[in-house]
Amino acid sequence: YYVKASYNEPRLEARVALLQSSVDEFNKAKNEFAAKATEEEMRLLRFQRKLEEAKGEPLLGFSLHDTITALLSVGLHKHAEQLYKDFRVSDKRFWWLKLKALAEKGDWDELEKF
Amino acid sequence: MASHLSYSRVNLNILREAARKDLREFLDKCSGSKAIVWDEYLTGPFGLIAQYSLLKEHEVEKMFTLKGGHIPSAAVKNIVFFVRPRLELMDIIAENIARFNYIHSHLCNLYIQNKCEDKLQPPRDFHILFVPRRSLLCEQRLKEKGVLNSFTNIDEYILDLIPYDSDLLSMESENSFRECYLENDQTSLYHTAKGLMTLQALYGTIPQIFGKGECARHVANMMLRMKREFAGTLIPTLPVFDTLLLLDRNVDLLTPLATQLTYEGLIDEVYGITNGYVKLPPEKFAQKKQEEGGKDLPTEPKKLPLNSAEELYAEIRDKNFNAVGAALSKKAKIISAAFEERHNAKTVGEIKQFVSQLPHMQAARSSLANHTSIAELVKDITSKSKKQSYLFIFVSRNSRSVILNSVLMQTSEVFFENLTVEQEFMTGVDTDKVCTYIEDCIAQKDPLIKILRLVCMQSVCNNGLKQKLLDYYKREIIQTYGYEHILTLNNLEKVGLLKPQSTMRNNYPTIRKTLKLWMEDTNEQACGFNPNDISYVYSGYAPLSVRLTQLLARPGWRSIEEVLKMLPGPHFEERQQLPAGLHKKRQPGENRTTLVFFLGGVTYAEIAALRFLSQMEDGGTEYIIATTKLINGTSWIKSLMDHPEAPLF
Repeated sequence: YYVKASYNEPRLEARVALLQSSVDEFNKAKNEFAAKATEEEMRLLRFQRKLEEAKGEPLLGFSLHDTITALLSVGLHKHAEQLYKDFRVSDKRFWWLKLKALAEKGDWDELEKF
Repeated sequence: MASHLSYSRVNLNILREAARKDLREFLDKCSGSKAIVWDEYLTGPFGLIAQYSLLKEHEVEKMFTLKGGHIPSAAVKNIVFFVRPRLELMDIIAENIARFNYIHSHLCNLYIQNKCEDKLQPPRDFHILFVPRRSLLCEQRLKEKGVLNSFTNIDEYILDLIPYDSDLLSMESENSFRECYLENDQTSLYHTAKGLMTLQALYGTIPQIFGKGECARHVANMMLRMKREFAGTLIPTLPVFDTLLLLDRNVDLLTPLATQLTYEGLIDEVYGITNGYVKLPPEKFAQKKQEEGGKDLPTEPKKLPLNSAEELYAEIRDKNFNAVGAALSKKAKIISAAFEERHNAKTVGEIKQFVSQLPHMQAARSSLANHTSIAELVKDITSKSKKQSYLFIFVSRNSRSVILNSVLMQTSEVFFENLTVEQEFMTGVDTDKVCTYIEDCIAQKDPLIKILRLVCMQSVCNNGLKQKLLDYYKREIIQTYGYEHILTLNNLEKVGLLKPQSTMRNNYPTIRKTLKLWMEDTNEQACGFNPNDISYVYSGYAPLSVRLTQLLARPGWRSIEEVLKMLPGPHFEERQQLPAGLHKKRQPGENRTTLVFFLGGVTYAEIAALRFLSQMEDGGTEYIIATTKLINGTSWIKSLMDHPEAPLF
């Protein structure tokens, strides 16, 4: 349970490892929700790194919400969609995000599409 | 100075004087000139005890705030550290002293080499003063750092209950709720018990103690034990307080979550009141200054003291905000009428009388102008779209005539919508479903604390949320605000603000009905201008904690035994024997005095409600309020949050 407090200090690899151990602890404590949330965070971190390397956009450490916003605002709609599906973001929230991001950019063509 | 403390029935100035005496004694112990190094957090509370002038009288020449590196140099004999017993502060002190010693020995060598010994600075004496208690752990840490021997004096300054106002005491220990309920650290309870003992030493033994909640039980136990230990050393005095009521904050988690709707409460919600001062954006106040003397625009936030010393503020602070505008305009008329009176003054005597009143009237007018500005600021945020609200603005010209302007205020729907949702929860509407308003707020990434307040409120009103619903909210929050908040959510669950619904049925409606927490018929205007029930402070919701207090006075808790059992923690009653001959003979018509102690914090709206009860004619009880900390929903939730350091990649 207390492993989660320590995960913040080290760098990415060490951090994912620590998160893994906290998943184990959560499972032991039968805290299903926390275990799942932690796993998702690990997944997100990996995704962020992959994308960061590929596109050169700083993403690591963002929340899912902010990641999607960032992706949408630089026009990486495909990746954003992928996150939306992978993490089962509620429709309502995703449309909010998308609308906002597109409107901010003034990307009316893309807005027309849905 | 501080005359407002002695207005009420219990003269809290005595307490303040006692605290000042202790401080003076300590300062005189270190003879010669001195500089004080402050733990920044303490300066606020200390300001309520002693002004700079008092310190100056005792040869305090310089003041610094404690920070790393080395202490600014000052030609003084003594350096006194005023600190809370915290380990991280000890490290800073140790660093300060080590640096100082290093530089000093260096200088000595230099001087000796150059053979000019007469210029050698005298070595300084270091003192440390722990507030409110010295701690062995901290001294140990200083020892480890090798600086413990540098101190000539290590002492403690017992400052538990700080008088805030004529009827309000606070310990200002920021994290006591967190410590008691989350970390199971009962240090602050010990301080509470000690503080109450000090109070009893000054104001006499309190014959009756009531309490509700785990922490209350602990405090009462400690008090009774201390009483036995000190038996005989107390000087018997006629008791000032008749009853002490100890209340745990977790008995009533709902009240601080709701938005306070009294004037003072709203100022606190919007701008935050710290140590009796509020900081406001300067724009509103700047204009007036320019008219008066064309001074520069102040860029710093304006700091205003808020206490009952200011006549007008004492009058309006506890009113429902809806009634404040009217009260202000009424006051304005009175003042301008008073100024008009000078035309009627015929004889020299009358004019003389008028002139003698002038300073008082001018003070009244400037306080009126201040509060009009504050009310305007708050109104900008809270005004409702449904009603067109008018507020009166006063512009003073030539410092004599007062012109009334009515201005249509800007509307803001956000505040109103938020309030509607809160009130729905409190009345029990749809507390078991996903609230679309909360959903929308999350989607728009509104401030996290606002979301947490609402979700917690829903949970409390529904006696826990269904597992599925709870997980849904938590997931949304984590996805939007980031994974690190899982710690905060966890904390909230631990203290019971968020919880999964157990098999037990929801007992909140029962509590609400028996304690009459929701007053259906309080229409806002009526409760604003002429309130007849404490529910006016939240425009309909009567704070549970205050309702309990009210019922204790009449008809007593026995009548609500059932409900008390539903609330967490034990309830109890203790009696303390008074020395013979000190039993107070109550004059007919004399009110009882009750000290209500909120363990874990109290809101301004609750204070307002208690003041309202004190003023009720048939109430028969006057209340003095004490607490570990003055809180509002925001500061409260904040104290429960965990902020892991942002990781670096």
